Amino acid sequence: MSELRNILEESVARIFDDLITSEFLTSVEETGWSQDLWDTIQELGITQVLVDEARGGMNGSWTDAYVVVRRCGYSCVPLPVPEAILAGWLAKCASIELPLGVAGVIAQTLPSTNVVDNTLIGQVGHVPWGRNADYYVAITSNRELIVATRENVEISREENLGHDPCDTISFNRTPVLYQASIFLPSDGIRWLCALLRSAQIAGASSRCLEIAIKYVGEREQFGRTLSRFQAIQHQLAIMAESLATIEAMTATAFRKMDTCGIVENDRDAKFEIAAAKCRASDAVESITSIGHQVHGAIGFTYEYGYHFLTRRLWAWRAQFGGSGEWAEYLGRVATTKGGDNIWHYIAS
Amino acid sequence: MTAINSLRFEPYELPGHLELLRKEVRTFLQTECAAFSALYRSNSWDAYDPKFSRKLGERGWLGMTLPRAYGGHERGPLERYVVVEELLAVGAPTGFHWIADRQSGPLLARYGTEAQKKKILPRITAGEVCFCIGMSEPNSGSDLASLRTRADRSDSGWVINGQKIWTSHAHQANYMIALVRTSPIIENRHEGLSQFLIELPTTGVTCRPIKDLTGRAQFNEVFFEDAVIPHEALIGTEGDGWKQVVEELAFERSGPERYLSCYVLLTNLIDTIKDDASAATLKRIGSQIALLVALRNMSLSVAGMLNDGKDPSLQASIVKDVGCSFEQGLPGLAQEIIDLEPTLAEYGIDYQQVLGNLVQLAPSFSLRGGTPEILRGIIARGLGLR
Repeated sequence: MSELRNILEESVARIFDDLITSEFLTSVEETGWSQDLWDTIQELGITQVLVDEARGGMNGSWTDAYVVVRRCGYSCVPLPVPEAILAGWLAKCASIELPLGVAGVIAQTLPSTNVVDNTLIGQVGHVPWGRNADYYVAITSNRELIVATRENVEISREENLGHDPCDTISFNRTPVLYQASIFLPSDGIRWLCALLRSAQIAGASSRCLEIAIKYVGEREQFGRTLSRFQAIQHQLAIMAESLATIEAMTATAFRKMDTCGIVENDRDAKFEIAAAKCRASDAVESITSIGHQVHGAIGFTYEYGYHFLTRRLWAWRAQFGGSGEWAEYLGRVATTKGGDNIWHYIAS
Repeated sequence: MTAINSLRFEPYELPGHLELLRKEVRTFLQTECAAFSALYRSNSWDAYDPKFSRKLGERGWLGMTLPRAYGGHERGPLERYVVVEELLAVGAPTGFHWIADRQSGPLLARYGTEAQKKKILPRITAGEVCFCIGMSEPNSGSDLASLRTRADRSDSGWVINGQKIWTSHAHQANYMIALVRTSPIIENRHEGLSQFLIELPTTGVTCRPIKDLTGRAQFNEVFFEDAVIPHEALIGTEGDGWKQVVEELAFERSGPERYLSCYVLLTNLIDTIKDDASAATLKRIGSQIALLVALRNMSLSVAGMLNDGKDPSLQASIVKDVGCSFEQGLPGLAQEIIDLEPTLAEYGIDYQQVLGNLVQLAPSFSLRGGTPEILRGIIARGLGLR
């Protein structure tokens, strides 16, 4: 790991570990938003990891962004930090400057006909922290990046299992601030949101394992710690294996974004992104079931707080395409390429 | 927590210049493997074909990492990695040279005597010799250190008595590298073991092939009855056998062979359902593709760590265990997707024959090179649980 990335990860970890405790997560579940944490994160500049230095960013790579987004999952950051990182990158790709404030990232492709006289119309669902957004970002079917204000919007409040907002937004002649062509597929945001969730799954899963290892080292039954039982050791070994597959595939997909990006050609990062989200989503089952099982009843309580991780894992594995959707994509690539060629595709 | 961070498998991308080598290997394999049936290809690293191994030797694709002074090519482990994964992906017959190329060559290069290296390494590189590994014994499987075959020093050489078992290719191998006891257990069972290079056939060494459930006989019982081998047959240091073997096993745990044993079945499955796969079927196949790609990247990451001189024994055990469940799961999955009878008979289409072969071989995958139970114990230790 590069020196810079180490420093970035350590500083992010320090802040998150300090501020995002179980008590904090409990309180945010009641209040819905922590402006203090958001401000601290803004000051740190980590949402700007992919933005050019000239615009006040870190000019980092996707591999750098990975360690931050992963840590967001690890700490259950109850704020749209991964989405903000993505918005910054989209703005860079389209050579525009984003307004100040919180970005509402829209994963679904907007029909280009929804942009009328420099205003936006129509309804979109599943917008993370849509209610808290100061502006919205989307890509149209004409492959244009749209940045719209939050005037004339109607918000229907929804949330995922992790209690993170995931709202439906209706635009009713909302002013468009920017409309700029962007060299990304029209569903590019959805691909990248799936990639972000894979990284959050990696982080949260690693925390689940960490807590489980600690717990079985302390809890005693039959006169010895649970960690001394071979049955428990093997369960945690399987959990570690699941985690390893998530980590490896997700890190590879971020790396592939650095080398190939996503464009409309045969060999970009799409294959690895699909594999990452599919693998991460598949592996959530073993992480959460073993993690909860070794904890016994205490892990099922609200107070213990394991659920901050596991409820998010259950939400994230389905968000922006679950294992089934991405697996179907991969299966289609395989059958289209055919048995002989799929290896050439994988090892290229 | 460092243990958990070691599960992160930093991506390792193969250097770009290896793509030329990969292309060369692919072109060669396209011609050389064209005539092999799907059934034959599904035996991959078990199929014994001395002629094919010699051809690889001529190309410079065996003993790639061995020193030039002994006929090797001094190429990096990653170059070997590329060659091996291409061989396995098409199901090329690699059984004759497999053990020699993967572990016996590197072991001898590291611990062998000058004479051993001069005599044998050039032949490994040429694809002329088949090696077998004499480790397991009737009462020593996973608990290898309990082995009892022993070598006693005499004026005429080392006298070996005892028995090895499950020794693949012993009946047709030119050499065995055997782990035996050279001094009695005093305190630590891991002490007093040594490795020997035994030329086969040798007086006093008898191989008896064991028929396996497929009806073929690929592994053996090997009996040692006062077999006398020269003093110079010792590999490395007397008493250091355990340490040497543990290092040798590291070569064994994370390579592409750990997830590609059933690869030919996956490609046959894909080609057989190709045109009329339902969404549900595509999902099941795609999910396995995702795991395959994850495994390849894990295996590459370990190769990168080995290349950088790190010790990835925890990660290697993970690759082997995950890889093994992946490849062992494929026959069952294939059977669920295409409900045709597995068979080795002529009337079966390629898919049926490949399935017929691999469904029978699959149980052996988790028995070689460390069982899941042993591997999970190693992983648990790596996690700090024991």
